[in-house]
Amino acid sequence: MNSNSKPILEVNGVSKSFGGVEALREGSLNLFPGEVLAIVGANGAGKSTLIKIIAGVLTPDRGHISIRGTKITRQDHSVGFIRQMGVEVVYQDLAIVPNMTAPYNLFLGRIPKKFGIFVDVKQMQAKTREVLAELKVETVQSLKRPISEMSGGQQQSIAIGRAIAWGKEIVILDEPTAALGPNETQQVERVINEIRKRNTATILISHNLDQVFRLADRLVVVHQGHTSKEFLRNEVTIDELVKAITTG
Amino acid sequence: MNGNGPQKHILGTKDKPKSMMNQLSLPSWDSPEGRVWISRIRDNVPFIAITLVILLFWFISGDRFMSVRNWTFIAQQTPVLLLLAFAQLLVVTTGSIDISVGSNLGFSAYMAALGMLWFGELGFLVGIFSAVFIGVLNGTIFSLFKISSFVTTLAMLIIVRAVLVIVSDGRSIYVSDQPMSNSNITSIEAKWLLDLGQFPQILYFTVIVAVLLWVVYEKTVFGQQLKALGGNEKVLRLTGISVNWFKIQVFAAAGFMVGLASFINLARSGAATVQAGEMLELDAIAAVALGGTVLTGGYGSVLKTVVGALTLTIVANGLTIAGVPPSWSRIARGLLLITAIAISLNRKQIDVVK
Repeated sequence: MNSNSKPILEVNGVSKSFGGVEALREGSLNLFPGEVLAIVGANGAGKSTLIKIIAGVLTPDRGHISIRGTKITRQDHSVGFIRQMGVEVVYQDLAIVPNMTAPYNLFLGRIPKKFGIFVDVKQMQAKTREVLAELKVETVQSLKRPISEMSGGQQQSIAIGRAIAWGKEIVILDEPTAALGPNETQQVERVINEIRKRNTATILISHNLDQVFRLADRLVVVHQGHTSKEFLRNEVTIDELVKAITTG
Repeated sequence: MNGNGPQKHILGTKDKPKSMMNQLSLPSWDSPEGRVWISRIRDNVPFIAITLVILLFWFISGDRFMSVRNWTFIAQQTPVLLLLAFAQLLVVTTGSIDISVGSNLGFSAYMAALGMLWFGELGFLVGIFSAVFIGVLNGTIFSLFKISSFVTTLAMLIIVRAVLVIVSDGRSIYVSDQPMSNSNITSIEAKWLLDLGQFPQILYFTVIVAVLLWVVYEKTVFGQQLKALGGNEKVLRLTGISVNWFKIQVFAAAGFMVGLASFINLARSGAATVQAGEMLELDAIAAVALGGTVLTGGYGSVLKTVVGALTLTIVANGLTIAGVPPSWSRIARGLLLITAIAISLNRKQIDVVK
């Protein structure tokens, strides 16, 4: 769909070994603004190694990634630097502080201050309403109560909101609905569709192939440590995809 | 506009299948509404407890308990414990614990007295600095060496008390309101300090500290981060907050509170002794727990800690007036502590009890 525009993220032949075992071999992919790219593969295929390299958690042995055309050198390849370049990761858990409010969670790590020490609650609440409206999350009860009183879908929506609220253009969603029920999953999927409209580039990792088919524009199959196949969603059936996942 | 979304979607109730319980007018305990109600009751346990305790002792001892004189006494008894409980509150909110506060109090009170002996009136600041220093030491060992706060501060409890014995050589320093002629007694002359230890000054001082702490705890970035650290340390690390440095700050702030407590203890008791503050760490933890602060961290309240410290003082006072022997009184307070924690704990948030 965006084949004419430039990729915002390029992964060029990255490899990673752990004590002689090659977890990822020459992994490559391109990610374009405004698309949802799903990475699918069996357990142990190398998906999470690939994601950790993109997020900066792991440094590749060979190959590199480029963001907006800028090659990330091995020295710069860290979580902090890649976050600065506009990449945000949303994990299936760990993403929120349950006892704090939704605004606090949205502003985590960048709480606005008044007089240098006080929390600017009004600014936080206003911005939270703005972000929630943009994501069409309308079932929020109170911005003053702990986020744990919200549904799992709302909580995960806030975690995704945190990624986009600060202008992050590349969002990695690592099994974002694995811990959620059907209705909550639906809510998070709506949010994912909303961030696509904002021209955010999204990488989705999911075990749920139905979900992948509902959300993704393109799919990259990881098989035995290699990015073996790539499909446009409209040009592949679920059976073909399953075959690619299992046999490469 | 968005905050006023359709009310029926509150808490995702539409996600739940309609069960028999939902058709009754009372919400079931496991429904979202039921959970909100349980948490409301749990939120107010400290206030319910103190009311019951006051009514109980009023009923048992009548006017001997419910007299201006006795309540003045309670108002004098509470501040030292309350300031120590405040120190504990800061640490407990982050999910850690500081059991060295009693030893730290004894040591810092002695250092304050020593400071006044050396440098005159402002020398009491030496005591505050000592308390903060011990806090920083606690925080540094705990966060950098990854030794649990319980073990770190338990070691510090023993070490600091021993250092106090060495420094003081077992001798007390007394505070007097006139020059002392007896050369066998080490004393400092500071009428203002003794006055501060009296009602109502001691109460004013404590109220001011409590209000300031409330502002810090509820309104500042520091206070919010205390709770966030108790809620999910891993997320805080992921968002680039320097958690180790923050933990050192927390223990330093707690040390500062202990410094204030030691200062007030010196003022009230009129002496810096080797035993000062012994076993007071348990009372401080009990006061925080009676105030409904979950010992696993993430939640807490300055006001409820005040209520907790008051409750503990009132129980001790009421049992004494009722003629209960001290040992039985301690047993009663221990049971009260267990009961308070049992009610205030939110067991869903605790995976493993160790």
